[in-house]
Amino acid sequence: MSLHRRAATRRKVVLMAVAAALLLVWVFPLIWAVIVSFKSESDVLAYPPTVFFEPIGRNYEDALFGDFSILDSLATSAIVSVSTTVLTIVLAVPAAYAFARLKLPAKKSIGFYTLATQMVPPVGLVIPYFLILNKVSMLDTYTGMIIVYLTFSLPFAIWLMVSYMEDIPFEMEEAAFLDKATRWQTLWHIIIPQVRGGIAVTVIFVFLNAWNEFLFAVQLGGNTVRPVTVAMYNFVSVEQTLWAKLSAAALIAMLPVVIIGIAAQKQIVKGLTIGAVKGGGRR
Amino acid sequence: MSKGRVNLKGIYKRFGNFVALKHIDLDIKPVEFFALLGPSGSGKTTTLRMLAGLEPPDEGVFAVDGEDVTYAPPGKRDIAMVFQNYALYPHMTVRDNIAFPLKMDKVPAAEIEPAVVRAAERVHIEHLLHRRPGQLSGGQQQRCALARAIVRQPKLFLLDEPLSNLDAQLRLQTRVELKKLQRSLNVTSIYVTHDQEEAMTLADRMAVFLDGEILQVGTPDEVFNRPRTIAVASFIGSPPMNLLPAKLDGRRLVVDGHVTELPFAPDHPGGDVTMGIRPSHVRIDPDGLPTRLYLSENLGESVLLNLYLGEYLVKVRVASFASAGDDETVPISFEPDAIHLFDTTSGLRIRTAQD
Repeated sequence: MSLHRRAATRRKVVLMAVAAALLLVWVFPLIWAVIVSFKSESDVLAYPPTVFFEPIGRNYEDALFGDFSILDSLATSAIVSVSTTVLTIVLAVPAAYAFARLKLPAKKSIGFYTLATQMVPPVGLVIPYFLILNKVSMLDTYTGMIIVYLTFSLPFAIWLMVSYMEDIPFEMEEAAFLDKATRWQTLWHIIIPQVRGGIAVTVIFVFLNAWNEFLFAVQLGGNTVRPVTVAMYNFVSVEQTLWAKLSAAALIAMLPVVIIGIAAQKQIVKGLTIGAVKGGGRR
Repeated sequence: MSKGRVNLKGIYKRFGNFVALKHIDLDIKPVEFFALLGPSGSGKTTTLRMLAGLEPPDEGVFAVDGEDVTYAPPGKRDIAMVFQNYALYPHMTVRDNIAFPLKMDKVPAAEIEPAVVRAAERVHIEHLLHRRPGQLSGGQQQRCALARAIVRQPKLFLLDEPLSNLDAQLRLQTRVELKKLQRSLNVTSIYVTHDQEEAMTLADRMAVFLDGEILQVGTPDEVFNRPRTIAVASFIGSPPMNLLPAKLDGRRLVVDGHVTELPFAPDHPGGDVTMGIRPSHVRIDPDGLPTRLYLSENLGESVLLNLYLGEYLVKVRVASFASAGDDETVPISFEPDAIHLFDTTSGLRIRTAQD
């Protein structure tokens, strides 16, 4: 008994040590960024690094209100991310319901295609998207950017929502039909309330992906649509890199992600593991 | 009230290559409590789902009160159904669950609450209206599903094995209440079950299903006492009747050399037939056929003997039995007026004076 307990304790200690080591690897750049963001630009480049320095808040001031203020781009990021998220949910929920429940012709191949779009490396799509948006004069527009983001977020959201909807027993809908509910009423009154958790997970993932996106933003955006991920690069120029201000801007941009991450920790873990534990619905 | 007459004519249903229903004809009378009885996979649930509009047939016509509703969507049929797993909406309270059909039917809000309370009272769950299904016991969930079905006055009331998820004692109690409830509702009710005791006790009439076909339609009494085919005879009764090969010669029935003089003249030319006799109509008789005791099961109120007559297992129900040990020889004879006869080739019942 005590032997078992000792073994269990040892196991726990080892696990904790491994977790701590991994965490350190992940967290180190973040800590470094935090430290740098409070240094002056000259201190940043000092070698050996200054361990003791007087923290200054000017970098944050500059990042927010300076020449290269990221305030506008924060707003842009918010508009793009929120619009993408809202549209994704509005479109993905009925689409996922159709995949999960309706007898559609070629459902299998459509389903496969939906998933397949997730497998294409984004780099391969940047140029085609650029050409297309150029042709329809939508480069550097909110509409263009949001549509491009939807092409990634929709398949992902549909795929995630389908697995939630398949978990709802068929009888529940059939009962609703017999109770004279229409399809839309059934979706609204019976299905959606039961997949609220799934919708929350989807919202979080879609929002975070849109917020963090860089590659497409930098290629397809411009002066009008410049999300914060791109705007930060104003602190990097040919002559110099303003590391301290860049760090401050990056940390500010990270804030919504961190807040959502902490607030929705449980949901995110659930969303990540759903594919692993669920068995899927009938049919 | 003569609403709720159900007619099924020539219904076929296939799932791929599997024929689930083969030419189903049924005529269910208004206000009748009608059971669809059969083993799993026999087509009874498919028939019920077809009545509900959840599974359209491939061929045939289904009419309610003379109106063809074969392909009408479920919501247009005015049918209420209790599902085997109840299908309660887990995110709604009991009150909202029961109110849902009324809301969807656009009943004025002021009329909903009293109707919900009335329905809940009928099944004694009025004190649970604020709870969610997850906070109810199995029996309470079942009542909630019933209340949701009876809250409006449907033309048809469908029940898919509503008692099968309850434990044995609760099932017996609920069975009685269900029968009472159905009588007070005055609504044609169709009840699917694999449990013949349920069908026998609840139904006014029943249809016996096997392999997608209806073997017999009749009152529980008819089905039990005058099974139409060997298949029905071998399914109904617990345990079902013994079926033994016999030779018929006028009124003389010969089983393994033992002659039983029948009290009636069978409508049959004679020859090889199948004799059916229920376990309680076999007697221990010193002058009877010798059988070998395989096992005796004490059921409390009676003893069930498993006897071997040659290669045939014969079940015999006696009031008491003092066993001298397994392999003991037990002589049996059959009560002549309780004998059923079937044509061995066609499987059909041979008419007797009792029929």
